[in-house]
Amino acid sequence: MGLTGLAIFRLLPKTNCGECGVPTCMAFAMNLASGKATLSDCPHVSDAAKEALESATAPPIKLVKAGTGDNVLEMGDEQVLFRHDKTFYHPTGIFIEVADTDDVAAKVAEIDALKFERVGQTYVVDGVAIKGSAADSFKKAVEAAAAKTNKVLLLMSEDPAAMEAAAAVVADRKPILYAANADNCEKMVEIAKKINAPLVVKGKNLEDLVALVEKVVGLGYKELILDSGERETSKVLADLTQIRRQAIKKRFRPFGYPAIAFTTEEDPYLEALQAQVYVSKFASVVVMKHTDLASLLTLFSWRNNIYTDPQKPIAVQPGVYAIGAVTPDSPVYITTNFSLTYYTVATEVEATRLPSYLIAFDTDGLSVMTAWAGGKFIGETIGPWLKDSDINQKVNHKKLIIPGGVAAIKGKIEELSGWEVIVGPREASGIGSFAKLRLGA
Amino acid sequence: MPVEILKEKYTGKVQEVVLGATKEEGGTRAYTVKLGGSSTLPFLQFEGEIPNRPVIAYEMWDIKPDWPDCFEEVYGDVWNDPVAWAKKIEELGADVIYLKLKGADPELENSKTPDECAKVVKAILENTGAPLMVEGPGNPDKDNDVLQAVGEAAAGENIALGVAEKDNYRSIAAACMMGKHCIVGRSPVDINILKQLNIMLTEMGVSPEKIINDPLTGGLGYGIEYSYSIMERARWGALIGDKMMAFPVVCLAGPEAWRAKEAYAPIEDAGPGWGEQKPRGIMWEAMTAAALLQAGGDLVLMRHPEAAKLVKKHLEGLMVSNAY
Amino acid sequence: MAFYMIGERINGMFKDIGEAVAKFDPKPIQEWAIKQTQAGAAYLDVNVGPTATDRVKSMRWMVEVIQEVCDTPIALDSTNYDAIEAGLEICKKPALINSCPCERPKIERVFPMAKKYGAKIVALTMDKSGIPKSADMRVAFAMELLAAADEFGLAPDDLFIDPLILPCNVAQDHAPEVLEALRQIKGLSDPPPHLTLGLSNVSQGTPHRPLINRTYCVMAITVGLDSAIMDVNDDDLVDAIATADMLLNKAIYCDSYAKVFRQR
Repeated sequence: MGLTGLAIFRLLPKTNCGECGVPTCMAFAMNLASGKATLSDCPHVSDAAKEALESATAPPIKLVKAGTGDNVLEMGDEQVLFRHDKTFYHPTGIFIEVADTDDVAAKVAEIDALKFERVGQTYVVDGVAIKGSAADSFKKAVEAAAAKTNKVLLLMSEDPAAMEAAAAVVADRKPILYAANADNCEKMVEIAKKINAPLVVKGKNLEDLVALVEKVVGLGYKELILDSGERETSKVLADLTQIRRQAIKKRFRPFGYPAIAFTTEEDPYLEALQAQVYVSKFASVVVMKHTDLASLLTLFSWRNNIYTDPQKPIAVQPGVYAIGAVTPDSPVYITTNFSLTYYTVATEVEATRLPSYLIAFDTDGLSVMTAWAGGKFIGETIGPWLKDSDINQKVNHKKLIIPGGVAAIKGKIEELSGWEVIVGPREASGIGSFAKLRLGA
Repeated sequence: MPVEILKEKYTGKVQEVVLGATKEEGGTRAYTVKLGGSSTLPFLQFEGEIPNRPVIAYEMWDIKPDWPDCFEEVYGDVWNDPVAWAKKIEELGADVIYLKLKGADPELENSKTPDECAKVVKAILENTGAPLMVEGPGNPDKDNDVLQAVGEAAAGENIALGVAEKDNYRSIAAACMMGKHCIVGRSPVDINILKQLNIMLTEMGVSPEKIINDPLTGGLGYGIEYSYSIMERARWGALIGDKMMAFPVVCLAGPEAWRAKEAYAPIEDAGPGWGEQKPRGIMWEAMTAAALLQAGGDLVLMRHPEAAKLVKKHLEGLMVSNAY
Repeated sequence: MAFYMIGERINGMFKDIGEAVAKFDPKPIQEWAIKQTQAGAAYLDVNVGPTATDRVKSMRWMVEVIQEVCDTPIALDSTNYDAIEAGLEICKKPALINSCPCERPKIERVFPMAKKYGAKIVALTMDKSGIPKSADMRVAFAMELLAAADEFGLAPDDLFIDPLILPCNVAQDHAPEVLEALRQIKGLSDPPPHLTLGLSNVSQGTPHRPLINRTYCVMAITVGLDSAIMDVNDDDLVDAIATADMLLNKAIYCDSYAKVFRQR
């Protein structure tokens, strides 16, 4: 979306000199808005107008990348304020902060090893933030951290000399540099430019942030991440909202970059809830202090949920899945390949502790009842598939357990496959008692 | 370039609903709570009013619940005695007591009669001061009978009765109007049906300041994002003037969160990296509630007191004004 | 964003209203005020018509009697700006000034007045030389009106820009031009101005008035029309608008959507 005619008109000199070929600035503005003229046709246009017009064609929020190899974090390039309007594209990077006064090698190794698995997904921390206290210890800490992890590094020091030395150690890792402020920004920009690393611009408030961003952009650097300097939860939420909203709705260029937020809660659980606010509302990076398992597992799960694309059903690969140490005697369940349905059923089947096969039948990612209503989970499709499936070679019986909600398809499956159909529970939560009662689990 | 704070101009707001009645108002509650009333998106006080902090309700049943084992140490001493249980959650800090009359489920042996349910409710009201919400056993016919008896027994107390659904709302709505109670209207994660239900309730004569909505919540990790988006759309609708999308929203964070294996599985059954069950379960519930609050929840129903306390503390930070 | 229906019925051109204005009989005026409000009117257009001898006095009286029975905002419809100002002085809700063409002296009279009273303006894409034929000229007038709003401290959405539709039986070629103008005017500013039409004009003198009105209205809504001066008691027309509004995903669907559309 470009600028509107009125927005362009506001930027023009309003002299009606006619040198552009049309009699009035207003007519020129309208030609420009509809692509019938170019800005260079106006000999009197100001630099500010040029900048505003050029940026109007750029994406509202710049895509900024940190890290290298398999550990690249993409930030920004978002287009909406509500996920239901389209989708959120680049999941918030979760970083853990380590002080250079800590046992850096040990802590970074611990962070690097954190790994959570659920419903077929793996969650890991995206990066490590090293906080510097003195130039010497900062450089050593960054060296130690770099040796222990390939994750994205975030270097925290507002002392340019310390930053320069530390950044040189990881020059080829594209770390995030934190932070440029009013006093150090010339030097920080120089360091960032040298290694082409994203630079956090840290204001004292939104107003100050804008001035600083304009200064840094004036120095010729645009690989930026924004920090309004605010740390109170509700106020950070307000600032993150303003930054995202003005970038998207107003094309306000100084806010057209990804944003970073820092947690302040001392309690690891409250910290995770605080981080949740920033993951939900517009931060591209959140830096945390604790590595509590329950906190991170729930936070990652939430991030996964909110960054799910609302426009497409999420499906698992159709096929036969073994749950536990299956044998030819193991029972066989069938459900759809809608991932939510599949993983809910898989979780319950696993909880029976009776090794089983679970068929994720291809319904284009629809849930059981929807797929049944839509003719994608019926005897006519399941029967022939089952007859030829390799499940026939895996088990020595022909008994299939189907969801209770679609008991009506029993007859047709039996007729077309030669299998016996057992009607299972209506809800996945009933699988436990069903297995106990009917399968002797 | 100076920053102009960009504020949305809204024309509507969330309906405010009062729950409970004090002595002066014809009831016996020690205090009342207000749900809703916001004229802005969640926690954005810089562009509108948020007159009421989201409310924290604690869940209890009239019989021993089939909850995961970890609740034994929390409620094992009271869950055979509804009055003791209600008093305990009030002491633990519940703004509102949420009673599920599961004991009236006709599929249970010795299923409770409507009269017995009414007695339980009366006893709880006599021994506590918090406003009360009552949910039926979940069987449409039985719900109607039970809630009518409860509504009569609690006349004047301005409790909330639920849940009314598209195919079963008339008798519950009548009970609410008769006893001047609030009503909880529920739809199965479907914004269009929810709106239609609200229209049908208002057309029956239920006053807007008595309607509460339950959009039915998905738990963390299991479809919560659907609820999140529905709630965001509904709040936006309310703010741009859609009065039938403007009723305060309750979120069943506790019951939904504890359905997930991630919440209840002991460490022997846990997935890679999950850690101990207790903090994991508490956080699963707290994270569910906190996420739904960001989408516009006006009341969160909590099950574990530790999770409820975390959410309450979390809310303190969110309620600090962020006016520029 | 809601659709603003402006009820056209309280106009001295209609016989019952004309007589009421002449005799200072409030009854017909109040009846139509209530009837149009119940039908979902966002504004009630008020025009004293040809029978009034003192337009300032009649306008004030009409606003008064309407405000006795409802609090629906009023669209003060007159070419006499003193009559409009008399109405603005007593309107309890922010009013709509109907209307102001793209002529400098009139802009200088009307825009500051709107600013003073917090009113919005129906701004016409025409000047002294009349209604332009082409979409481009309509858009150029709209742009001038928006620039004038800027100049007088009004927001773009303080304007309800009316690109002026003519009867299809005499000026059929205007109908597509107006649609194109609507589409382009919507893109002139951010926020965009409101867009309105004197809808009943399009079918003037034809034997198919309701059908033409609602067909054209739906066509115009798809290119950005969000208001119309219209017969709000034409149920089929209002149903069509409600449906268009819903199908453009501007209102959340429910089975009773057309009924909800009328409630506000």
